[in-house]
Amino acid sequence: MYLAALDPMALVRALPGNVAQGIIWGIMALGVYITFRILDFADLTVDGSLATGGAVAVMLIRGGMNPALALLFAFLAGMAAGFVTGILHTFFGIPGILASILTQIGLYSVNLGIMGKSNQAVNVMQYKLVASLRYVTGEGSELFFVKLIVAALILIAIIYWFFGTELGASIRATGCNPQMASAQGINTGFTKVLALMISNGLVGLSGGIYAQYQGAADVNMGRGAIVIGLAAVIISEVIFGKFCAGRKAAFAFTLGAIFIGAIIYYIVIALVLWLKMPSDYMKLFSAVVVACFLAVPYMKGKYFTKKRRTA
Amino acid sequence: MKARKILAVSLTAAMTLALAACGGSSSSSDKGASSKESSSDKVYKIGICQQLEHAALDEATKGFEEACEEKFGKDNVKFDLQNGQGEQANCATIVNNFVADNDDLILANATTALQCAAAATSTIPILGTSVTDYATALDISDWTGATGMNISGTCDLAPIDEQEAMLKELVPDAKTVGILYCSAEPNSAYQAKKFEEALDKDGIKYKEYTAADSNEIQSVVTSAVDDCDAIYIPTDNTMAANTEIINNICLPAKVPVIAGEQGICSGCGIATLSISYYDIGYRAGEMAYEILVEGKDISTMEIESAPKVTKMYNKTICDELGITVPDDYEAIEE
Repeated sequence: MYLAALDPMALVRALPGNVAQGIIWGIMALGVYITFRILDFADLTVDGSLATGGAVAVMLIRGGMNPALALLFAFLAGMAAGFVTGILHTFFGIPGILASILTQIGLYSVNLGIMGKSNQAVNVMQYKLVASLRYVTGEGSELFFVKLIVAALILIAIIYWFFGTELGASIRATGCNPQMASAQGINTGFTKVLALMISNGLVGLSGGIYAQYQGAADVNMGRGAIVIGLAAVIISEVIFGKFCAGRKAAFAFTLGAIFIGAIIYYIVIALVLWLKMPSDYMKLFSAVVVACFLAVPYMKGKYFTKKRRTA
Repeated sequence: MKARKILAVSLTAAMTLALAACGGSSSSSDKGASSKESSSDKVYKIGICQQLEHAALDEATKGFEEACEEKFGKDNVKFDLQNGQGEQANCATIVNNFVADNDDLILANATTALQCAAAATSTIPILGTSVTDYATALDISDWTGATGMNISGTCDLAPIDEQEAMLKELVPDAKTVGILYCSAEPNSAYQAKKFEEALDKDGIKYKEYTAADSNEIQSVVTSAVDDCDAIYIPTDNTMAANTEIINNICLPAKVPVIAGEQGICSGCGIATLSISYYDIGYRAGEMAYEILVEGKDISTMEIESAPKVTKMYNKTICDELGITVPDDYEAIEE
């Protein structure tokens, strides 16, 4: 009887919205990937810089700026946040996680200052927003998704290109082995700051798009963002890790997989809602899902691989 | 290798699905039953997006559901109650589901829920409740009382000028009034502004004290009681959750607090103008009936405030501070 009350079509109909939300948060997850995996730096600035990007974008749009152009400034604002974390860490010698928490706390006041109050709305009827929940259904929705996907692909291409340059490679080297990197003449302080700036720039960009998508920037909109970002990264690694490894342009596939990871995360949330599970348990459920994804590679290694693999 | 991988993934999926099913079955089976027995009349599907768990918001949701069940008939309305758990990304996911489900009406309980719903659809009627200021929340510049789009609802504001009059009545010699709220809550800032306008008219000085979160309340209130001879707290969720701290500072300093709602007043205030969240939720439920069954045009329906307000006072604190309360005040029951 419980199963009969569920409408499978409802889940399918909700899918486009989840995909849109997944792609937007996927941009943030790219940023998290750069610090968490490439630089090996636990950066909690994200919870603050997401809202900074949203606040900057919304205030500029309300001031009459083109919503697409406002995203550029959201990106720059995010970079500024990353710069602060980077300087606190490299120049003032504050441990990374603490430096990022300090920035995150400080950004709360900065975000309030940018918006003048805790919540500023942008109405999709008054401005030509680049993204909105409104576009998910109805006319022109295909175009919206094409735009989102193209934007994601462009970002992937830029990041792929950048981390292939000498500068990008020096960031990767810093993440792999800081001592070795500095022995090779890389200024690891500089590369760390740069990576944090790029990462938080992407997070700010994501915040700018998401604020338009939900119709308002809010000082609390970044709450829990880092968890969503990490979940997306880890889900993508578990599912697509093998698929991406050893392939030509493996790094580009890895970046693409992060978007799919974020989409899967939102589909899982939608699944919880669709199952009419009491939403009081939603957080527990998402924790369980992420824990499962984390556990799969280990369990597989332990119970499913009997004989030693040969290369 | 490949087969094992597929097996592992599908096992995980099965595991999580089974877990989810266990969690959901108990609460949902009764809902399924009620809709099954309904007569041939149309069954209205109403999606309720509540922003977070909070006693006042819970009351509003309860009022809404009971009004709907009474008006539509228990079997002719089906609720899909979802709670955003305070995470804004969840509100967007939830309303997206409602739109995808093609619900007949959406109830958005609290500000972010309303903003997400407004962004999600221009066709499905949306009723808000527990929202203080619709014009700001929806970014409508020429406010006329109705939104002019697919949105209406009830607000949770007790008349601010009456609250200010109450402060003058109970603390007639107040020179400087401190206004205390959490900087993250737009509704509080709005009420603070309205209250300041009222104080301006009477030539009473004021000062704003804001806390970013509950950790800061203690130091902010301590500095407020030094400078002020009365404090006003609007309907602020953060303050509502921390009335003990406020009371422990204000009472020894003999600074009376006028509160925006009953919960805060019973914890740390001398008096309040009380509205009931159940009432505004209930009124929203009646509006839902007017829209869906009687065919009223939602875009012209004005935002309504609570149908009745009551002057209430906190006997313990008033006795302690030696404040005599006029007869038209009701004591808050412990």
